[in-house]
Amino acid sequence: MCEFSGKLIAWLDCELPAEEAAEVERHLESCAECRSCVEAYNRVSGEFDAYCDAAMASSAGRGAPRWAQVAAAAGAVAALVVLFFAMPRTRVEPPAFHAQQAEVAASPAIVAAAAPASVSPTIQRVHRRQAIAPVQIQDANATPAQNQNAYLPPDGPMIQIAIPADEMFPPGAVPEGIHFVADLTIAADGSAARLRLRPRLTSFERRTTQP
Amino acid sequence: MSGDAAPLALPLSRLSTGACEATTLYRELRKPLLRYLVCLGLSSDEAQDVVQDAFLSLHRHLASGGSQENIRGWLFRVAHNQARNRQNRYDRNFSAASDSEMDGVSHEATPERAVLEKEKFQQLGKAIRLLTVSERECLLLRASGLRYREIGEVLGIATSTVNDTVDRAIKKLAEKCNV
Repeated sequence: MCEFSGKLIAWLDCELPAEEAAEVERHLESCAECRSCVEAYNRVSGEFDAYCDAAMASSAGRGAPRWAQVAAAAGAVAALVVLFFAMPRTRVEPPAFHAQQAEVAASPAIVAAAAPASVSPTIQRVHRRQAIAPVQIQDANATPAQNQNAYLPPDGPMIQIAIPADEMFPPGAVPEGIHFVADLTIAADGSAARLRLRPRLTSFERRTTQP
Repeated sequence: MSGDAAPLALPLSRLSTGACEATTLYRELRKPLLRYLVCLGLSSDEAQDVVQDAFLSLHRHLASGGSQENIRGWLFRVAHNQARNRQNRYDRNFSAASDSEMDGVSHEATPERAVLEKEKFQQLGKAIRLLTVSERECLLLRASGLRYREIGEVLGIATSTVNDTVDRAIKKLAEKCNV
C-alpha cells in the first residue's frame, strides 16, 4: 500500500494544504497505482452524485397519496375561485411563451446545469461545490421569459401571480418578508387546469453583527 | 411566466427590497438541500417542507441579527436536524430510493444502456446501504458541495474525522462496485 493512499481523496476534494497537495501531485506523476486509484475514486464520486440525482428524480416522480391529491385539488379550486374574485386584473403570457421556454431549456447554461457530474477517466480535480448547478441570477433588464425558473413545471403555459401573505392571512400570521406565488395553468379550452401556491421569501433585513 | 417582475394589481413594492439576494440564495441551495434530504430518506413533500422551514429559520436568524458566516453550512445543519426530528421516516435512509422504484435512468438511453445503468445503480445502491449512517451522511454532504469543515459542523464531528470517514466510505464504494 502506497504511503500516499490515505491522502488521495482529500487531494481530489481540494482539502489538503498547498504543500501537501504539491507533494501528492509530484507523487502522482511517478506512481501509476495511485493515479489509477484517483481515477477510480473520482469515478465512484461521480456515480454517487448520479445515484443521488436519480434518487431525487425517483422521489419526485412518486405521487402523493390519493386523499392528499383530492384535498389539494379541492384546495386549488377554492383558491382559484377566491383569486378570480379578489384580483381585478391578471396578466396573461403571450402565445409565444412555449417557444421561448423551449429556447431557454436548450440554452448551454441550462444543459450544463442538468448534466451529471463528470466521470471522465482523466483526473479532474474539481471540488464538488464547483460541479453543482450554477446559480442563475435574475437580470432586472431581462424579459420575463428569460427569467424562467429551471425547476418550474415545464408543461403548459402558466401565469405566475405574486400574492402578499397579508392578502390571504390575518396580520401577523405569516412572518414578515414572505409572500406566495400562485402558478396558474390554463387548459386549451381556457379553463383553469391547475393552481399551485408556493411560499417565497422576498427579503432579508440583514443587520451587521458589529456595533 | 412573468416572475416577480410582472406588473401586478397587488401592492408589491415593499417586497422588492433585497429580493434578488434572497432569491439567489434560495435558488443556489434549494436543490442541494432537497437532494440531501431525499437521499436521507424523506419523501419529496417532506423534504420540501423541511427546506421551506429551514429558509424560514434562516430569515428569522438573519432578521434577529444572527451571524451571516457560512450560511450554507447553517442551512444544512438546520435541515439535517429537522430531518433527524422526523426520526421514524429518517430511519428509511436509502431504502426510500429502493432499486425497484429507481427510475432515474435517462429516458433517452437505449434499452440496453438503460438496463446497464439500472444494474449499475442497483450495485451502487447495495454498496451505499452497507455504509454506516455517518459514512452516508458525510458522502451526501460532500456531494452537496460542502467542505470537510462544514460537514463537521453539520454533523457535529471533527474535520479530521470527516476526512477519515469520507476516505473510508469512498474506498468501500470503489471496492464494492469494482470501479
